[in-house]
Amino acid sequence: MSLFSALSVSASGMSAQRSRAELLVENLANAETTHTPDGGPYRRKDAVFQSTDVSSSFADMFQVEMNPQSAGVEVSKIVVDQRDPEKRYMPGHPDADKDGYVSFPRINPSEDMVDLISSTRNYEGNIAAMSAVKDMIQRSIDLLR
Amino acid sequence: MLDRVSQQLEKYMDLVTTRQKLVTANIANIDTPGYRTKDIQFQQEFQSLVDGEEPRVIDVPNLKVKNDGNDVSLDREARMLSENDLRFTLAENILHDRIKEIRSAIQEGGQ
Repeated sequence: MSLFSALSVSASGMSAQRSRAELLVENLANAETTHTPDGGPYRRKDAVFQSTDVSSSFADMFQVEMNPQSAGVEVSKIVVDQRDPEKRYMPGHPDADKDGYVSFPRINPSEDMVDLISSTRNYEGNIAAMSAVKDMIQRSIDLLR
Repeated sequence: MLDRVSQQLEKYMDLVTTRQKLVTANIANIDTPGYRTKDIQFQQEFQSLVDGEEPRVIDVPNLKVKNDGNDVSLDREARMLSENDLRFTLAENILHDRIKEIRSAIQEGGQ
């Protein structure tokens, strides 16, 4: 039984939350982007998580094979918002269609800000778990003193 | 070399470790759709661990399930995190004293 795999679990949580935060920040930055390489306006992205076995080294991998209970987390897919873009009447805009409407991304900044707060808090939760486990490891080592 | 109580303390610390691992997994999966909070039945599993069995992991019942089918409560996990930490510290302190006793017996005996 190794506490080190618990560290890997927390690390996987931190990395997943970080990827999600990156997407949320990207959404906020592109809230007004009407032009993308794929054509059309920017579309909102969000991460979907799934639990997974963590494997950082042979010993941990072996541990996971023996008792599949230490579930880490990973980003399983990135969902792109498929809703129709928001139309705004701006006839002078270079991306305006023939009726003078411009397609804007359907992004609600409050939604992304709230998700960003949740992502930050959960990242902190993982840090708290990691430091608690780290203290336990340290105290086990101190038994030898 | 160590007595029976120390061996049980070791098992106790093993069990706290197992539990702490489940808590870290629960916290990591707080946004995973469909994930259910995992835990062990501490008292019961301690008895069976002393008898030489592996702990069984269960889904914690009666937690509020969110819209995405996930029922991890950060408050519960924070409580468990500190509870496990305190349990581990307690066991560690007692075990440390016992090891110190043995060490002093070895060192003082030679003089």
